[in-house]
Amino acid sequence: MIVDAVVLLAGAALMLFGRSWAVVCAYVVLAGLATFVSLPASTSLLAGALLMLSAVLKLVIAPLGVWFFVRANPEARDLRPSVGIPLRLLAVIVFALAARHAGAIPPLGAYVVLCALGMLVVQRSLIAHILGLLALGAGVSISASELGPGLPESIELGATFDVLVVTFIGLAIARAFIVHNPLLDVESLRRLRG
Amino acid sequence: MKTVIIVAPFVAELITMAFRPIETRRIVRMGLATLAALLPLLLLGRVSALSMLFAFLVCGLSWCATLFSTGIYSFDWGVGEAVWSRKSVYFVLLGTFWSAMLLVVLSSTFAMMWLGISMTTLATTFLVGFSGERDSLEAAWKYLVLCSVGIGIALLGVLAWLQASPQNPALTIAAVALMIVGFATKAGLVPMHAWLPDAHSKAPAPISALLSGVLISCSLYAILRVVGAAEAAGDGAFARSLLLVLGTLSTSVAGILMLVQSDIKRLLAYSTVEHAGLVALALGFGGTLGIFAALFHLLNHALAKSGAFLSAGMVQRGAGPRLLLPAMAALCGLPPFGLLISELLIVAAGVAAHQWFALGVAVTGMILAFIALVRTAVENASARRTAAQTATKLPRRSLAATGAVLAAALVVALAPWIGGASLLSSLAEGIIKAR
Repeated sequence: MIVDAVVLLAGAALMLFGRSWAVVCAYVVLAGLATFVSLPASTSLLAGALLMLSAVLKLVIAPLGVWFFVRANPEARDLRPSVGIPLRLLAVIVFALAARHAGAIPPLGAYVVLCALGMLVVQRSLIAHILGLLALGAGVSISASELGPGLPESIELGATFDVLVVTFIGLAIARAFIVHNPLLDVESLRRLRG
Repeated sequence: MKTVIIVAPFVAELITMAFRPIETRRIVRMGLATLAALLPLLLLGRVSALSMLFAFLVCGLSWCATLFSTGIYSFDWGVGEAVWSRKSVYFVLLGTFWSAMLLVVLSSTFAMMWLGISMTTLATTFLVGFSGERDSLEAAWKYLVLCSVGIGIALLGVLAWLQASPQNPALTIAAVALMIVGFATKAGLVPMHAWLPDAHSKAPAPISALLSGVLISCSLYAILRVVGAAEAAGDGAFARSLLLVLGTLSTSVAGILMLVQSDIKRLLAYSTVEHAGLVALALGFGGTLGIFAALFHLLNHALAKSGAFLSAGMVQRGAGPRLLLPAMAALCGLPPFGLLISELLIVAAGVAAHQWFALGVAVTGMILAFIALVRTAVENASARRTAAQTATKLPRRSLAATGAVLAAALVVALAPWIGGASLLSSLAEGIIKAR
């Protein structure tokens, strides 16, 4: 019950908050929760070690990378939501109801995945895209632990590594993009069309 | 053994970096790339014939892309100052891309296949944004975000598949749907195609050739494997219906958008969406004929489109526009190239499956695409070479790579008459019998 409430609140925070630090905190809560619920499935020493490595990458390295980027680029602090809070709150409620009736897909994981995808749509900052992808990874991990014994350790580590590399590639491209787009606004990604 | 073969292209590029004189490095690079391309021969009889077929496709086209890249001069490599805009980084990323694609086609589980597909995104994002120019960065960003979302959805599908059982049919259907949608994002099927025209048009020519010729084929290979597994689980009809929807959307939307393109690489990119849609339709039609047509079309398209992108790269490099004509002829399916034959096979599969609406949309899409390609070919044929183009000395290695790819397209077109048909038939029957 507590886990459900925490996931609901953290997922809602992804959609509702407009500041980078708040969304990073929500992501850390979700990723931490995903790691916590996966712990009982780690029976061997190797599995436990891989899970810990995965946790360090997800909970420390990725958020630190985003934090350093935001600190160096103050414009990235604002996620620039494109719609107001009432609409975003409505979206969160719709996501919660949709996840509740998702059928075969576990509801908590589905809710986080939907919130992450919603975040990609409603926030205009490029940093929001990176945070959305991180949250999507956390949602998939929560789904994994809801579905059964979770991901095989090698795939869990691979998925974590994937998310981490996506984060740093995204930050590197965002860094190069600042010259052309100082506000890091997704609106400026419309030159290539048709 | 399999692991060595998969990592060989990546390791080869790392070794190459240790050699300093540029000419020595070039020789070592091509020597090691040739070795890496030949290594999958050791797996003959140890992995499925389908995996071998795609492994040869991956290795052949990646080798040609490497050869083409060694022929391009340094000033063709963009103006960016980013760390990834360096030639050595380019080749390491190319080797990583090659290894990741081998992992996709040689893996025996969906989980490892997913890992390979996700690695291709990581390797190619910097390659798409290689020049460091504004438009390339925009294309790289869209590619990274959209494909990562697709990969995340596919992972959810793989997870659901791992837990699926006959007692929980809803979970099996959800797994199949999520995997198809996720991999279809990488295959550039409409409506998840938004990254493809930008990435293909802004990447360096050899990377566009690999994205269009091999990466799309690997993603469609993953979908083919999902369809085979769905057939075995008794959910083949659902998978085929989903592919019919995606294929119908892709062929129609791409056919229309091809008519309004003025940039040659963008036109080729939309052509890729159209052909991916045709393969999805062939898989959706199902049956031995449908899967046979899908495989034959995949091979024909991979080679013809790679040749077209490499030719477009030569034209951008300063060659006369008529250099594009052989590749355009291949893409239009003019004899002796095989795309028209594989398209007719897809039509025959549609007739056999009585899918008249999807068939009508597919034929309309094919006609629109044909008009757009012929119009561009005529424009290029009538264009006169400028004085600068006449004076341009084209890199021989790049010309040879382009010629090799188009020659391979000719060989594949003739394959059904020299025993290739029985191979493809047995592969198609193998997938059907998995049911």
